[in-house]
Formats: sequence, structure tokens, C-alpha cells
Amino acid sequence: MSTSCGNPTVEKDALMPRRRKFDRTKTCIKCKDNQGNVTIRHAVYCKECFFPMLNQKFKRSLEPTINPIPDGPRKKNLYPPGNLLIAFSGGLGSTVLLDLVHKGYVASRKPREDADAAVRKKDPKNEMVWKEVHVCYVEVCGAFPAMRDRTEDVRRVVESYDGFKFVPLRVEDSFDTKWWESVGGKPDKGELRVDITNEDLILLPSSNATSPLSALHTYLSSLPAPTAIPTTLQTLTRLLLLHTARATSSSHFLFGTCLTSLSVSLVSLVAQGGGFNIKEEVQEDWGGEGGRQAVRIVRPLKDIVMKECAMYAWWRGLEVVGQEVWPDARQGIGGITKDFIVGLEKDYPSTVSTITRTCAKLAPKETPAGICTLCNRPAQGHVQDWKTRISIRSLSPSLASPQQPSLAPYLCYMCHTTLTSKSSKKPSSGSSSAGGEEGNEVPLPLWVGARVRRMEREEMRDKVKEFLLDKEEEEEGYAEPI
Amino acid sequence: MPRLCALCSTQRPILKRPKTGQQICKDCFFYVFETEVHNTILEAKLFQPGDRVAIGASGGKDSTVLAHVMKTLNDRYDYGLELFLLSIDEGITGYRDDSLETVKQNQKEYNLPLKILSYNEFYGWTMDSIVEEVGRRNNCTFCGVFRRQALDRGAAMLGVDHIVTGHNADDVAETVLMNIMRGDIARLGRCTAICTQGEDTIKRSKPFKYTYEKEIVMYAYFKRLTYFSTECIYSPDAYRGHARSFLKMLEAARPSAIIDIIYSGEACEVGEEATKELKERKTCKRCGYIASNDLCKACTLLEGLERGMGNAGITDRGRKQLEASGPTPDGLRTIPFFQMNASTPTDATSSVTTSGQGSGARISPVVDVSAG
Repeated sequence: MSTSCGNPTVEKDALMPRRRKFDRTKTCIKCKDNQGNVTIRHAVYCKECFFPMLNQKFKRSLEPTINPIPDGPRKKNLYPPGNLLIAFSGGLGSTVLLDLVHKGYVASRKPREDADAAVRKKDPKNEMVWKEVHVCYVEVCGAFPAMRDRTEDVRRVVESYDGFKFVPLRVEDSFDTKWWESVGGKPDKGELRVDITNEDLILLPSSNATSPLSALHTYLSSLPAPTAIPTTLQTLTRLLLLHTARATSSSHFLFGTCLTSLSVSLVSLVAQGGGFNIKEEVQEDWGGEGGRQAVRIVRPLKDIVMKECAMYAWWRGLEVVGQEVWPDARQGIGGITKDFIVGLEKDYPSTVSTITRTCAKLAPKETPAGICTLCNRPAQGHVQDWKTRISIRSLSPSLASPQQPSLAPYLCYMCHTTLTSKSSKKPSSGSSSAGGEEGNEVPLPLWVGARVRRMEREEMRDKVKEFLLDKEEEEEGYAEPI
Repeated sequence: MPRLCALCSTQRPILKRPKTGQQICKDCFFYVFETEVHNTILEAKLFQPGDRVAIGASGGKDSTVLAHVMKTLNDRYDYGLELFLLSIDEGITGYRDDSLETVKQNQKEYNLPLKILSYNEFYGWTMDSIVEEVGRRNNCTFCGVFRRQALDRGAAMLGVDHIVTGHNADDVAETVLMNIMRGDIARLGRCTAICTQGEDTIKRSKPFKYTYEKEIVMYAYFKRLTYFSTECIYSPDAYRGHARSFLKMLEAARPSAIIDIIYSGEACEVGEEATKELKERKTCKRCGYIASNDLCKACTLLEGLERGMGNAGITDRGRKQLEASGPTPDGLRTIPFFQMNASTPTDATSSVTTSGQGSGARISPVVDVSAG
């Protein structure tokens, strides 16, 4: 007997038997008739049964979130109070999401009647659940000079479906007053700026606005660590999408985050100090302040693993445009976490579902002290006090005088850390070449300025409220769309 | 112009602080290191004047530095604490016997009373004999469960109010990640607490909860403290190893990651629904220690060892096998009955010079006694 190592004494049986990928049989566990085509977490499915199974998982995740108040186990008509916005990145998850939404809620359905959705009694299967469906794509190539613009590729995919309205955006729109006004923001007298070298993040007087692209470059190149760039781009993209959801009167906003991606983003969130927002990472209602209609963010693929998405896209022949890999993305907290979790899943199967199930059982310890001006998520207070106590960075008290307005009190822990946590490595983004000429003054995304000014006004009003006779009048002129 | 310390702006910096990345001088490093621990102690109101506090001492870097810092802070800020060193001898030849020599040396340097309790005396088994019986795969479970009980029992015998351990920020962050990844809700809920205390257990706390492991090594290096640096010779917990390597990668990318994870862990808690699923805390019917079932984990593990079924306390299958093999035979070796503060001596020295004071102890714990 010859062996690969040339040692004739090695017995064949000494090799570890290969572990079977399915538990019992090769026959489909649904129809118990056909030969299986795919194994999903030890269960075998044939191609015919795979699609209804996936569709059922998708609907089971999405439909209980559609009505403003959940109906409980008894299924009723679906009556969303607004339109639908789908976030599309060109990646696998959002490509599958787009197809599932189109098949399930747009194709072969009549346009929705204008009658009040809340009192409709008709079978929802006959007409569209949402009156309008918008698909929004945010192009990030502006952040990296060598990156290819994929907007047209994405447009082609979106327009291959009927019934979708395409909304293309660019990440630099976060600094563009035209975009801000288009989503209902109030024009301002210039950009609000911040001194990012100081941990108090001292706010500086507004100066003349630069071009949105140059503002983006300055912002990214001023970040203290390479890990902050992917996190910042995600936050900017998320907020652009949320404001677009509001501007398109959407009550629901869908992300194509599958189970694998969700577990990566949850661990990544914890690793960046965002444990307080674990619930929001799975599902959140955004912008419901002041009696406005909140936008509900839902991840209907959260029970579907990446392999299922890949099989669905392959069998349906979907075109996956793919996402450009951001420079430094692998060095980011998200990139490191993804590599680790995907690797761990090989040795410890079910890791991804364990992570999401564990996180679903967690709740924030305190009631929020406010909303973070940058990421617009609930935030705890006293972030700086906590940081000062556990790591002393100065022998004297903070240099910021109480008179100097500072951004730090308006930020959550994670955003404050992203803007201040230093690394031994300098950010090596291509974007850095374009920035820096403004010195330490960094322009802020436009929604930050609007919220900071409103909060400053609220603080001023609190101080003089006993002497104000007319509440309505002094609110004038400080509207913002959230 | 030469660069100056980022904190005092007068001395030449000689180190880069792992926690903040600042370049600082030696004196400023000692100041911030000790003051941060002091802030942690004050913020959590860990001690009351007159408290008798045992420092869990293994001879490793964390507990050696903890003993030094606790003594320093107790003198500097006049906490009014009565400090003891408490060591557990797991019975690992070539590892613990050597590290205990370091503890004895520390005891002389810091002039603190020392008490050493051994697994052999408490449970009738050493880790060497346990590994011989069960192999290396699950031996860390035995060691962890037995050590926790032994520390509590040792503290009760010393009549102390409080045990402080050298768990550092890296350990806490690693535990948060590990519990999320393997779905251990019960532990996740309590792993970021600085101080844990049940109704019938001794207070335990982690004054180094926000202290980076690298800074502990740095402190020991500059203070020239003697510690034992060898890793345990038995295989480490494989899953914890994964969590640790992940944490190290995160720390390399962003040094604040360790603290960020702890902040995350502190910001959330186990929700109401999930809390209902957690088991109610009971008292072990055999030894009186806290338990989730009729028998505590240590008694289950010990019974498994005694009856030649090492897996009894590890897996459900092992526990069922143990139950199926009939009732517990008479005359089986058991753990002495646990009673909080079984002896509350008035004199610290007398407490450590008396052996076998645990009330109802069927195995009399033999104590290596040496008062400072």
C-alpha cells in the first residue's frame, strides 16, 4: 500500500472520517421525494422546495413589522402608513432583497388605491402593499480617488425591475446644501466646523462652504485612525439613506443584511463601544420626534444565511454588481470582525445564529439621555466623564472653557470614539491627499449642524422659559427634517 | 527641541502608553496607573474603612501588581483596609509550586499575612490527578469551578469581607466577546460588573477592570516587581484562545477597542424575557455553597471524579450516566460544608495560623501558614 507520505505502515483507516454535511439523508426534508440540491445548516432541500422556504423566512421577518402596531399571531391586512425605500449596495444581500420584494410585493399586483390605507379591507394580495417603492444607492467612490463609479451598473440592475424608482446619491452629499434642501433641510449660513484635534471637539464659527467633495476629503483625512474611515462612511451612508426615506415619505426602509452580515455588524458594534444600540442594529424606528411619522428600519433577511442568499442569486440568475472593496476596509474593526466570525463559523457552526440570538436578548441598561447628533441613535450621557475617569489624559482639568461650544456632549460613545480614538498608524486613505489644507477645522455633515443649533436653542430656551410668553414664535427658523 | 512628556511637559518621555498612545515619563505613568485604579475603587465604592480584604494571589503579573498597588493606595489614601494574601494551590507540578514561591517572596516584600489553600486538602484531588483521570480536554472546567469555591472558603476562614482579584481590562473584554459568541446569557449579564455579591457569598471585585494587561506588565517592569510568568502547563481554554486572539487584533487596529468593548458590556443588560429563563439560585444540599441545581457544580464534578465518571459535571450525557448508575454510594469523599465567615477572628495573624477551622469540615483543609 502506498501513501502520499510514502510510509507504507500508515493505515488508511487512521485518517479522520470526513464529517457529513447533512444529518440523515440526501432526500429533501420538505417534499421527502426529490433528491436534495443544497444543504442549509445540516438540512437538505431540493431546488423546488428551497424557494418557498426562503420566501417564507423572508415574509416571516418582514410582515410582522409592516403595520404600525403588530397584529400578533393572527394575520391581518397589511397597511403601511407610507412608502417603501430599499437600500441597495449592489452586494449579494441587497440584490436578493430587491428580487424578493419585487416578486412578493410589486410584480403582478395592481397599483394601490388612494383610499386611506388604515381602513382598507381588501385582500392585500391583489394590490401593492406600498404605494411607491424607491431604491436608493449611495456611491462612495468620491471618498477614494482610484475607485470606479458603479452608479450606472446599479441603475441597470434596478431598472431591470418594473415598479421601482431609482434614487442615486453620493456620499459627499452629506456636505451638499442642495441635497440637504432637497430632503427638507433648512439652508444654513455656512458649514458648522469642529476642531478634531481636541478631545472636547470644540465647535468653530461657521465659515464659507467648500465644495461637498472637498469637505468630505477634509473630514475623512482628519480622522485619527484608519479604523475610523469605514465606520464613518457607514454612518454617512446610513444617514443619507434615512433622510431620503423621510423625503420619499417612506414608512419602511429595508436593508439586505443577512444573518451572517448581521452577526458581524453586531460584534463590530460591540467592539466599537456601541453596545447601547444593539437593538437598533437589528431594527429601529427613526425620526419619530415631534409627532412625525417614524421610519422603520427592517432587515428582513436576518434569518437567512449568506449561503442561502448565494444559492438564491445563482438559481435565479441574478446579476450581482458587487461592491468595491474600500482601501483600509480590512484594517477596520468591521473587516477584522468579518474575517474572524467567518473563520470561527467553520470550526464552531451556528456561531452566527448564536450571536444574533444572544444579542436579541440584550436591552439597554439605562434610558437614553438623548439622540446622537452624528449617527442619530439613542445615546447615553456623560461619555466624557466616564472616559476621563478610566483613562487620564491630562493632569489638569479640561482646557475647554464652559463658554466654548463643544460637539462632544451631543455625541454617543461610539461616534465620540470614532472622532477621537487615536491609532499608532496614520490613516492611509487616498482621500487624505485632498484634505488638510483647512488646518484643524473640519466641516461637519449638514444634519449635525442643524441638530446642534436646535439643541443649543433648546438649552437657551430652558434658561429663559419662565419669561417667554409665546412658545410658537421663538421656534421659528430652526427647523430640520428630523 | 527634545520631545517632552505629554502629561507633565517637563520630563523626557520614556514610554508610549498602550491605553492612550500618549508618550509620557515614568513618574507620570505611575501616577496615572495608580490614580485610575483609585478612581475605579472610589467610583464603585468598593471598600469601607476597616474592611478585611483578601487579595487573590497566584504569583502571576496581575495579582503581584494588584498586591503592590492595593498596599500603596491603602497607605496613600488611608482606605483603612486590613489586607491579606490568599493563594490556591491547584497541585500542578512544575507550575503552581514554582509560582507559590513567588507569592511567598511577595508576602515578605509587602509584609502581608498569607494563606495558602490546596485542592488536595479541600477536594482530595490535585489538578495533576484530575488531568490523569479526565485528560486535558475539560480540565479547565474543574480548575475554574474548584478555584472559585476554594477562594470563597479560604476567605470565609480568614473572616474577610471582600476578595479582590487581578482580572484586568483584557480579561473582561475577552469574556464579553466570548459570552456573546457562545450565547452565555447568564455570564454576559454579570461579567462587566466590577463587584459581584450574592446574598450568601463573599464580595468579589476587580480593581483592574479598566487596566490594560500591557500596562500591568509595564508597571511591574518599571517597579522591578517579581512575578512568575509561565503559562499553565495544561491546555488553555480553546474558545477563550480564539476570543483573545480576536481581541489582540482589534487592539492592534485601535488601542481603545478593549475599553470600548467594556463600555458596550456595561451599557446593556439581559432583557426581562431572557432573565425569566435563567435558573434560580439555590444552595447546594451537600456542601452549602451556591448552586443552580440541587448539587453545586463542584460537588457534581467531584462525585463524577470519585465514581470514575469525569464527564458527569461537563456534559448532559455525563450527568445522565451518573444518575443512571444509581444513588451516591455511602462514604464518598465530599467537600466540607460551606458557611459564610465560619470563623471571624479578631486578630489577623491568629486567623492564618489556625488550620481546619471550616465548620463541619470532613476534609480538614491544611494550610500553609506564614504571617508577615
